[in-house]
Amino acid sequence: MQRRSLLKLGLVSGAVLAVAGGAAVLWRPGIAQGRLTASAREVFASLGYAILQGTLPSEPQARAQAVEGMVERVDVLLQNLPPHVQAELSQLLGLLCTAPGRFGLAGLVPAWADASEAQLQAALEGMRQSGLALRQQAYLGLHEIVGGAYFSDESTWASVGYPGPPIL
Amino acid sequence: MSNFPDPIRAGLERGWKVLGGAHGALPENITCDVAIVGSGAGAGITAELLTRAGLQVVLVEEGPLKSSSNFHQRESEAYPSLYQESASRKTADKGVSILQGRCVGGSTTVNWTSSFRTPEPTLRYWEQHFGLDDFGREALAPYFEQAERRLNISPWLMPPNENNELLRRGADKLGIPSATISRNVKGCWNLGSCGMGCPTNAKQSMLVTTIPAALDQGATLLVETRAEKLVLARGKVQALHCIAVQPNGAPVDAGKPATTIVARHFVLAGGAINSPAVLLRSKAPDPHGRLGTRTFLHPVIMSAAVLAQTVEGWSGAPQSLYTDHFMDTQPIDGPIGFKLESPPLHPVILATTMPGYGQAHADLLAKFPHTHVLLALLRDGFHAEAPGGRVQLRSDGSAVLDYPLTDFVMEGARRALLAMAEIQFAAGAQEVLPVHEMARPCTSWTEAKSAIEALAMKPLLTKVVSAHVMGGCGLAGSEALGVVRPNGVHWQIENLSVHDGSVFPTSVGANPQLSIYGITNRLAQGLAQRLTGKELALA
Repeated sequence: MQRRSLLKLGLVSGAVLAVAGGAAVLWRPGIAQGRLTASAREVFASLGYAILQGTLPSEPQARAQAVEGMVERVDVLLQNLPPHVQAELSQLLGLLCTAPGRFGLAGLVPAWADASEAQLQAALEGMRQSGLALRQQAYLGLHEIVGGAYFSDESTWASVGYPGPPIL
Repeated sequence: MSNFPDPIRAGLERGWKVLGGAHGALPENITCDVAIVGSGAGAGITAELLTRAGLQVVLVEEGPLKSSSNFHQRESEAYPSLYQESASRKTADKGVSILQGRCVGGSTTVNWTSSFRTPEPTLRYWEQHFGLDDFGREALAPYFEQAERRLNISPWLMPPNENNELLRRGADKLGIPSATISRNVKGCWNLGSCGMGCPTNAKQSMLVTTIPAALDQGATLLVETRAEKLVLARGKVQALHCIAVQPNGAPVDAGKPATTIVARHFVLAGGAINSPAVLLRSKAPDPHGRLGTRTFLHPVIMSAAVLAQTVEGWSGAPQSLYTDHFMDTQPIDGPIGFKLESPPLHPVILATTMPGYGQAHADLLAKFPHTHVLLALLRDGFHAEAPGGRVQLRSDGSAVLDYPLTDFVMEGARRALLAMAEIQFAAGAQEVLPVHEMARPCTSWTEAKSAIEALAMKPLLTKVVSAHVMGGCGLAGSEALGVVRPNGVHWQIENLSVHDGSVFPTSVGANPQLSIYGITNRLAQGLAQRLTGKELALA
C-alpha cells in the first residue's frame, strides 16, 4: 500500500529531477524507524537558521542550542503524524538529502550545511513562488513544521511576547 | 496540578464501561442495540437520547479519552492528542489546512464554542434544492431550544476581549452591524484556551455533557478504536469491523479486526470526511454518485493587523462578536458571501499561519501582543462554482478530501481580504497584512486596497484554513439528490443512519456545532421512537 503512494510522489519528483537535469538517483528515506536520519536533521537545522533568522537568539551558542532544540522537537512531533504523512515527509526529506533533489526541489546548489543564510533564503523564496505545486507544497510543509516545532516550546515564547497560559 | 474536579476520572472510578487503549482490551465480539461511530456533536446527542430510551449503546471513537486533568492549555500537547492528523490534516492538493477534533467529544472538545442556529436562508435553500420540506425555522425551533437548554447556550455577556472588540469598533465606524455570539459555556473563566481542551470544564462539550450521561446509563465507549468497515448484505448492515489504533492512527495490529460489533441499528457520526470514508471503505451502494461529494469547508481567509495598544489575542473568550453583513447583503446563490469573526491567537498557530521567513517573519511575530486577526468564513455550496470537494480513499484506506479552490471561491477570498482590511483600518490599525505569501504589511486602507486588488488569489499562495467540515452524506427528500433520507436513514441501507455534519446539503453559513446538535437531536428522537416507541426530548 505504501509502495503505490511512494511511486506517485516518485513520479512527480522524478519529473522535477529530470527538469533539474538529474539522472537516476539513489536516495534513502529521510525517516528511519520513526526517527529523522542524520541527513534529515541537517536539512531541518539549516532550514531552522534560515526560517527563524531574526527570531533566534543572537548569541551563537544559544542560537545553536535553540536550533538543536527545534530539530529535536521535529523528531518527536513526526512520531505523532499518521503513517501517510510520515511516508510523504520521509520521501520529501530523502529527496532533499540528495544533490539533484536539493537542486530540483529547493533550487539549492551547495549542501545544506554549507549553504549561507542568503542562499537558503533564496531557495525558500524560489520554492514558495514556484509555478510547480510540488515545490510550493514542500515549502509550506517545511515552514509549518519548523515554525510549529520551534514555538511549541515555552522557552521560545518570551521572544514573541507571549506570557504563557494563565496558571490555574 | 489542576484544582478542578475531573468528571471523566470520577466516572471511570464509578465504573463506566470504557475499553481500548490503556482502558482495557477490546472484546472480540460485541452485541448491542445501536452502535454509534464517533463521539462528537452528533454522536453525543444521539447516545444520550438512545440510552435514555433504554437502548444498549456502544460508541466507537478513534481518538483518546482525555479530560480536564490532561488539558494544560498547551498547543504542543493539544494538537497531537486531540486533533485529526496532529492538527495538520490537509486537502489533497494541500491548499486548505483542516482543524478537526479526534478525541472523545470530537471537535466539541476543542472548538471555540460559537453557537448559531442554522440560518434561515440556508434552510430555505435546502427546501428549494434538496426537497427538505420539514426543515423550516419553525419546525426545527424546538430541537434547537432543547439543545440550547441542555448545553447552556446563551449570548456571551462578559465584555469581549480586545481582539473581538476591534471587529465591533471597525464595523461600527463603517456602519456595519455586528452582534454577540452565543456560547455553550457554564461558569466560563474567560481564559481563551478553548482550542486546547477546556481546563475548567466550563465548555459544555459532548465530553462533559451527553457522553457522561450516556455512560452513566450504561453505554460502552471504545476509544483508540477505528470503525473500519461495515459488513453489508441484503440492504442491511450485518456488522461493523473495528481495529485498534495507535496514538498517531496507525493500526496496532495491521489488517486484523480487533472487534466486530453486531447491532440492530448503526449510526455514523464520525464527522464529515470520516463518515463518508467508512461508507466508501464498506463499498456502500451509491446509485446516484452522491457519497462523499458536496463536502464543504467554509474556507477561511485571514487578515492580521497591528494596533498601537496591546491586543493579547490569546486571552479571553475567542469569537464573541461577529458580523453577517457580507452574507446578508447579497443573495445566497450570488457571489460567495462570508461571515467575519476574531479567532484566538497562540504561538504555534500564529507562527505557522503568518507567511514568510527570516527577518520579515520575525518582525510579524515580534508584534504578537499587538496583533489582531479577523477571519472570514466563506459560505460554500450555494453556487455551481462552489460545489465543494469529494472525499476519497488513499491506497491504505485512509480518507482524503479533494477540494479544488475555484476561481469563484478565490474571488470571494479577495473581497473578504478587502472587507477585513477596511474594518481593521477603521478600528485604528497601524498596519494590516492580508495573510497571503505575496502580501506585505500595508499602512493605509488605500495602500491595502490596491495591494489586495493586485494579489494573485491562488491556492498555496493564499492561506486558506478550515475548522468546519460539512456534507458528503447529504440529507435529501429524494433518493437522487442525497445519501440519507430526511429522517437521517441511509437511502439504500435500512438500519443505518448518519447523524453528524456530513448530512448538511450545503455548508451552514455559520459555525456548525449548534446546527449539528439541533438537527441530530431531531433525527435521534425519531430513531429512538422507531426503535422503542418512546417519545423523548433532549431537555
